[in-house]
Amino acid sequence: MKLRYDDDVERFRGQFQEWLDENQPTPEEMESAPVRSSAHRPPWARRWAKRMFDDGWLVPGWPPELGGRNADPVETLVYLEELDNRGIPRTTNPQGLGIVAPSLIDHGSEDQIECYAMPLLRGDLTACLGMSEPDAGSDLASLKTRAVFDGDSIVLNGQKVWTSGAHDADFCFMFCRTDPDVPKHQGISIVLVPMDAGGVTVRPLMEIVHPRFPDLNEVFLDDVTVSAENLVGALNNGWRMANDSLAHERSLVWLMSVFGNEVALKRLLELAPELLGDLGPLERAGAIDDFVGLHVDVLAARCMGYRGFARYVRGGTAPEQALMKVYTSEVRQRLALVAAELAGPAGLRPVSGRDTEVGTQEDFFSTFAGTISAGSSEIQRNIIADRVLGLPRS
Amino acid sequence: MDLELSNDQLDLRENIRAVLEGACPPAAVRAVYEGTGNAAALWEQMTHLGWPGLSVPEGAGGLGLGFVEVALLAEDLGRATAPGPLLATASQLTPALLKAKAHGEMEEVAAGRRTGALAVSERGRWRPEKPQTVAQPAANAWRISGSKTDALSGGEVSSFAVLATHGRTGAPGLFLVEASDAEARPRPSIEPTLALADVEFDGAPAKALVEPGDGSSEAVERVLQQAVVAMAMQTVGACRRILEVTLEYAKGREQYGRPIGSFQALKHRLADLLLAVERATAVCYYASLCIAEDNEGRAAATHSSKIAAGDCQRLLARDGLQLHGGIGFTWENDLHFLLKRAKAGELLCGSSRFHRSELAAILGLADRGES
Repeated sequence: MKLRYDDDVERFRGQFQEWLDENQPTPEEMESAPVRSSAHRPPWARRWAKRMFDDGWLVPGWPPELGGRNADPVETLVYLEELDNRGIPRTTNPQGLGIVAPSLIDHGSEDQIECYAMPLLRGDLTACLGMSEPDAGSDLASLKTRAVFDGDSIVLNGQKVWTSGAHDADFCFMFCRTDPDVPKHQGISIVLVPMDAGGVTVRPLMEIVHPRFPDLNEVFLDDVTVSAENLVGALNNGWRMANDSLAHERSLVWLMSVFGNEVALKRLLELAPELLGDLGPLERAGAIDDFVGLHVDVLAARCMGYRGFARYVRGGTAPEQALMKVYTSEVRQRLALVAAELAGPAGLRPVSGRDTEVGTQEDFFSTFAGTISAGSSEIQRNIIADRVLGLPRS
Repeated sequence: MDLELSNDQLDLRENIRAVLEGACPPAAVRAVYEGTGNAAALWEQMTHLGWPGLSVPEGAGGLGLGFVEVALLAEDLGRATAPGPLLATASQLTPALLKAKAHGEMEEVAAGRRTGALAVSERGRWRPEKPQTVAQPAANAWRISGSKTDALSGGEVSSFAVLATHGRTGAPGLFLVEASDAEARPRPSIEPTLALADVEFDGAPAKALVEPGDGSSEAVERVLQQAVVAMAMQTVGACRRILEVTLEYAKGREQYGRPIGSFQALKHRLADLLLAVERATAVCYYASLCIAEDNEGRAAATHSSKIAAGDCQRLLARDGLQLHGGIGFTWENDLHFLLKRAKAGELLCGSSRFHRSELAAILGLADRGES
């Protein structure tokens, strides 16, 4: 155990800091064209992606031809720490960079890598993930969107929902049913669907927070026809690839939630004089105690994540993603609740942009994105019980 | 930061755990509870293995390890609900001796001839606002007078490191008093393995380990922080074991024709128990590392560790007992040793409520004593 990494890791950090000093997007650039969804790439973000790719800082763990520098996991971690310290987004299309591109590189054809994966990395395209459906949420494997082969074509029919960034994405990494007659996990395939293909209709879903900046969408597929070459990997192997895809960022995805919680806590402590100012002594004592609890919650998230990560680096399994997911999202929700209640009626004000503000009711509601999406807290607890604790299946 | 144990540390823990499983099974703990046995044989074996000198420098006959290793030992002593003066000696007396570079006494500790505990609490409070125990300088020695409560293993140690303030200046210091010069009164307790005692000092001759004066307050805090983190760690060790036995029970106990652990109502609670244990373990390791590396955040980390351990024991003691159902409510089942150890750990070295108010002050949210 040690608090600081070895000198060579710190040298790596220094190298990246120097590069950032020269190349990071300026606040003016970022403010001039705010990011409106998780597949929106304003011009500055495209330039930023390309610079990162060209100089080997996009995915440091990959080789140079894929935008990396063969960094090890600890170096990748300090790289993410540095981006966070400066408040710079690594990408404005997290699903594209974190899930779609690596899956295509692992399982895609040469053409798919050339025409989809590389442009994703260089910032020329963005992607969305077509997973959930109206009747396939937590039970994702029961998805019904059909893909039928017809000669050299694939014809798709069905509906996706909760598709982040679909209205801004160039293509979708679409999970479809290709064999309805086998057990549900065995009949799923992945097809690449350009969002401008005929028969694709995207309807943004206004959310209960910042309704002017929808990120989620319904995606309707009516006889959408794409080339058979758009099938990713082997037919009916989609479920296994999905698990691989989601595993890609598991070793480090927890870090983003830890950072997010730390930023929120810092904001809460900045607001403390204002939030505590006019409270009577007993109210104040209770509120302070809540703050202390949140401080420990947030510290614990960091400690749990770094501890699991150290184990992973030494060849163990990645931090128990289910534990980190349920914990960090619920901590963030507790924090939002405490802040919003202390803010009083002023916290009912609408938030102006897409980002939420600690100390508002919208912030509280927005935290449910963390406890509901990507496997709800209840599903995570099932996973912990079954896979970590080894309890018998229900 | 790297928060996983090194291979050496993992080996040490495995070793400690194996020894305690053999030498301190629940039956041995039960013997202490029922007054039919004591910790003597266990202590002899621990001494033989050099555990009392775990963090004593090699030059004084110890193993020369650091505070992280002391915390690991504490974790497993809690896990085994081990009786005897090792937890107190390793996590309370030795840090004070190390601070004083008291070579002779450390040699005695390493050889198993000296044991000891902190005498800090007064009137049941770990850090009373107005401590009453005073140290008066006298010819060749100090004289300590005052009443201390809740000394860990206080009924069985051979010496005390006493927190007392200088009779004239009010500066705090730590003083070594032989148990033979004090009057220790064992406390009736539902947790007999910790052998809590109140200790009376009536002009007891003492040697200063931390001399009251400039900087003594900081030096005293550093010693006390180690006691706090070790106590948090032993609590979490007991809690992890509660989780393990509760899981075993949930997997084996059948009702309505299926293991009760297959019911989702239990599954989700057990998942939360794991979270609470992992959370507290991680914060305790972090705090022990901050102490070992003398990081500036050590005070805040210390308070956080005791707070996290407090949250952990609340949940584990409650659900551990609840999910065992009626069998957990019996004297015959071993669960209650762990429950009582976890609860005692919360109440010693400052409750989480105390540490929460200290942390509030460090975070700039309240003056000490306000919240």
